[in-house]
Amino acid sequence: MNVEILAAADYSLVTVEGRVDTTNANEFEKSMLSVVDGGATKIVLDCAGLNYISSSGLRVFLIVQKKMIAIKGKFALCCLQPEIKEIFDISGFSSIFSIYADKEAAIKG
Amino acid sequence: MENITEVKKLLIDNQIDELSRVATWLEELGEEWEFPMSLVLSLNLVLEEALTNTILYGYEDKLRHSIEILFSKSGDLLKVSIVDDGLAYDPTTKPDPDITLSVEDRPIGGLGVFLIKKIMDTVEYQRIENKNHLTLTKNIKP
Repeated sequence: MNVEILAAADYSLVTVEGRVDTTNANEFEKSMLSVVDGGATKIVLDCAGLNYISSSGLRVFLIVQKKMIAIKGKFALCCLQPEIKEIFDISGFSSIFSIYADKEAAIKG
Repeated sequence: MENITEVKKLLIDNQIDELSRVATWLEELGEEWEFPMSLVLSLNLVLEEALTNTILYGYEDKLRHSIEILFSKSGDLLKVSIVDDGLAYDPTTKPDPDITLSVEDRPIGGLGVFLIKKIMDTVEYQRIENKNHLTLTKNIKP
């Protein structure tokens, strides 16, 4: 797994690549929470390079979404690979996250 | 024509690090059995969810235990068995999460077993001679 964080003027862009699973979900959670706790009101998570996720990873997505909703912020996901989108569909996550087809739309949205 | 049954077996220790070895083993098996990448990823997810539960919550002692993973393929039918000597745990009795809840009401976690049930066609549990036997099947017709 590789996580990159870019703080722009009015949003934070996080890029996650590789696998988010039981072995590294804690690390992913720390990175995401550092952005949330840093005061971001809009987080865009680019998932183009994310090719595997298990329930440990989904858990982190839900934690961030709950926190962002609590502060009336925005958590936008983009560029999910079909296999990842399928897991989101099965879990009912597709209806509780804002998912965009491309990064530009997620930044604007 | 009669189907030949092919069998592959992997033994792992009750350590979370072993999940990486499971992923590599599954990728190699996927190549050999010509599984599409999406199937390999789904099966990886199923194994990870089942094994994580066993490794994290299945043992009261700190000893080393072996977990056996068995894949058998007969025609289009794939059978996955996981056998461990951990505490008795029947995941099939776990109620499904309500996936229609709002973000605020959705509990954190509790998706693992549900994902296994959604990806596989059948999920069966047996306790035999102090061992958990989880048997999963899936029709893998392309």
